[in-house]
Amino acid sequence: MTDEIPITEIVHALAASPDFARDGVCFAARTSGLYRSDDGGHTWQPAHNPSGTEKLLPTSAVVLSPHFAVDRTVFAGVPGAVMYSEDAGQTWHMVALASPPPFVSTLAISPHYAEDGCVFAGTVEDGVFRSGDRGAHWAAWNFGLLDLNVLSLVVSPDYARDQTLFVGTDSGIFRSTTGGRAWREVDASPEGARSTDFAPVLSLAISPQYATDGTLFAGSELRGLYRSNDRGRTWQRMGEDVLAGPINGIVLDPQYPMRPRILVLLHATLVLSADNGVTWNEWRPDLPDDQALTCVAAPLGLEDGAPLLVGTTGGEVLVVREKLFRE
Amino acid sequence: MILPFMRKPLARVMQPTVYTNMERVVFQPATYRGMQRGIDQLVGAIRPTLGPRPRVVAIDHVDYHDKTPRLVDDGGTIARLIIELPDRDADVGAMLLRDVLWRLQQQVGDGTATAAVLFQAVFRRGVHYITAGGNARRLQTFLEQGLRNILEQLNAMVVHLSGREELARIAETVCYDPPLADMLGEIFDIVGEFGRVEIRPGRSRELEREYVEGMYWERGAVSRGMLDGDGQLRTDLEESAILISDLEIKHPQQLYPPLALVIRNNIRSLLMVVGEISDSAIGFLLSNKHPEKLRVVAVKTPGHDKEQKAWALEDLAVLTGGRAFVQAAGDTFERIRREDLGFARRAWADCYNFGIIGGKGNARQLRQHIATVRAAFERTDNPNTRNLLRERIGKLLGGSATLWVGGMTQREIDERVERAKRAATALRGALREGVLPGGGVALWSCRPALEARARAATDPDERAAYRILAEAVAVPIRTIIANAGFDASETLAELKRYGPGYGFDVVRERVVPIAETGIYDPAIVTKSVAYAAITSAAQALTIDVMVHHAQPEQAPLPDLSSPKRL
Repeated sequence: MTDEIPITEIVHALAASPDFARDGVCFAARTSGLYRSDDGGHTWQPAHNPSGTEKLLPTSAVVLSPHFAVDRTVFAGVPGAVMYSEDAGQTWHMVALASPPPFVSTLAISPHYAEDGCVFAGTVEDGVFRSGDRGAHWAAWNFGLLDLNVLSLVVSPDYARDQTLFVGTDSGIFRSTTGGRAWREVDASPEGARSTDFAPVLSLAISPQYATDGTLFAGSELRGLYRSNDRGRTWQRMGEDVLAGPINGIVLDPQYPMRPRILVLLHATLVLSADNGVTWNEWRPDLPDDQALTCVAAPLGLEDGAPLLVGTTGGEVLVVREKLFRE
Repeated sequence: MILPFMRKPLARVMQPTVYTNMERVVFQPATYRGMQRGIDQLVGAIRPTLGPRPRVVAIDHVDYHDKTPRLVDDGGTIARLIIELPDRDADVGAMLLRDVLWRLQQQVGDGTATAAVLFQAVFRRGVHYITAGGNARRLQTFLEQGLRNILEQLNAMVVHLSGREELARIAETVCYDPPLADMLGEIFDIVGEFGRVEIRPGRSRELEREYVEGMYWERGAVSRGMLDGDGQLRTDLEESAILISDLEIKHPQQLYPPLALVIRNNIRSLLMVVGEISDSAIGFLLSNKHPEKLRVVAVKTPGHDKEQKAWALEDLAVLTGGRAFVQAAGDTFERIRREDLGFARRAWADCYNFGIIGGKGNARQLRQHIATVRAAFERTDNPNTRNLLRERIGKLLGGSATLWVGGMTQREIDERVERAKRAATALRGALREGVLPGGGVALWSCRPALEARARAATDPDERAAYRILAEAVAVPIRTIIANAGFDASETLAELKRYGPGYGFDVVRERVVPIAETGIYDPAIVTKSVAYAAITSAAQALTIDVMVHHAQPEQAPLPDLSSPKRL
């Protein structure tokens, strides 16, 4: 499944080419640096430094342009900076974010990147940074963001029109409807509880049809999975019996809600639902006891048998091709 | 059933005006007549300013240096500048209304002209009814009952807006200045209802705005020697510790424990907030020979009084996760520990302000703290306290905006600043309580329900009250249409044919769908207008007797033009 990567480090993030079925390109952000695979995740090479002459930078986040096949653009979060490449990782530009150096926890890119050039970096302690010029310059825009410890970030698929983003922080969710310039609290608390009781939000996923269905999923550290069908105004807890523990990742089928498949990454388990969260089934990879799953990518969607890339705390990237969904 | 003419009118008999050595006592009907004269004069001055095509009122100069008349187009300012009428009976009515309008202007920033015409309509019709035998007290009760009906109907019409364009349209209904409205729309879309917005006279002809990240307070470094002298006179501290206190530092020795603590903990930057600090203590801090090892900037505790200082200490403690040392509690720095210090990713100070970006306090506690301050804001009715609490919430939310309002002349700049401030107040209200159809449509839409209540009423005073209100709520829209040069009756008839959801756009000169054109007023303004105008007019109707105190003889004014006197 993996080679060339020492198994002592964590995989923080995975990103696959939108044209993965043809080119098989994917990237893994690891403690020891950014790695690239051209064969669907089976073999990996350092991406920051293809010549291998310099020390690799710890990489905490990676995201690819939605038009990667054309613009070959990759962004990666490294300590205090964002690196970007416009040739699929052959050469890189590094842009410092601010001083003192922030730790980039997550990256997200506008679905309309070709037109607006917007990229967002969530950081631990420094909130959200935004670039409107394809990564060349970054500025912190944190009006109303009361918690600057950003753990997850999603951009609306209809961003060009609604300018909407959500961030999951150490103390709950915040929403921006101004393209990331100003933020408002989202009361994502269970019914009857105060919003400030809400646990850290480790993961977020937004429906591909958000413009019409207003659906958003939030995975918390302590209180399981929540869904909102009204753009974050009200929330319902899902799968209480099954989804106990930190939710490290959520993947929705690209055809959601027409095909209502949901994949949730628990501590050491993949939990799946083919019926919009009514029933769930689990799949547990064969991992050592001291390892857990950290991130997941579904480059070809949630088709049965389509590859899933799963990162672990052991530094491995598992390529899963099981038939996981039961209709 | 008791009809009005069957009831014996109270104090309706003609009574002469009584003069005493000290006072003049005025009875009915002179009371109503006098008050009506004053109200009519004041409303006559304000009425032309109602609507998006206002006419301007010229007010004679008020100081010796500037002889140019002041041109004003908002009712609140006109009311404020009319300070006395020579006819003392009329003056009572005018000043009563002036007080209502000025308070309204202070509270919601707009709606004074609407309130003026509504007040006048209710008062005039009320006087007609009472002089025909109606009971003023009972009428007051039913007018207030009708007001509740109006407020319920207005609440049912409220819609909530968001986004820069929608907010800009609301601002434009107040300031009638599209570039200014657009800028305010952008600012409030970013900073929100409680956001900190400073509106200052500009430095050029243009409008300029600046956004500042993080929180800041109006207290600069206690000495310029603590600031970087690279032309900006500002110091930025990274990963800074924050010492939070209102202690009076008289001797350098008082600073030894906190300085020893930060050095022991290898902390490189310290922002020290203290109540007072002596020159010798400042000198001690400036004598630091190794700023690369420890940079210290001292500022004074923000706030103008004890309560504001206590608020600032509490806010700083929550934001940075530190403990506030309070003089009144007998605190000293003697036994300071590392966990007493607050921390921030960045802190800064210049000659006038200090600020914090990325305070390392507990975010959940901060959100809870803001919720508590918001609850206090909602509870209080005191306008000053509300303003202070709003500013406090704005600080805690982080980030602020400054708008510099430019213009061709200083007078234009001053007037634009005033309009910007009123529009800002209205925008805060719109963000908090939503908006209602503008141009007088919301109040006018209450008319059918009021007419139905009048028809259903069996009590004559109740029926009269609802009829008065049904007629009065149409007066603002009639005035707006008439001020724009159209026939109000014809236009309202056309508007009725279109039905609900439509309004008359006097700028486009046609009936338009409100939702599409965005002709809205802040709901808080319309509701406050209805409340202020109707309750105060109903109360004014219960005034039966006026007593004027004798005015003391005025000493002749000194002749300021005489060089001898100067």
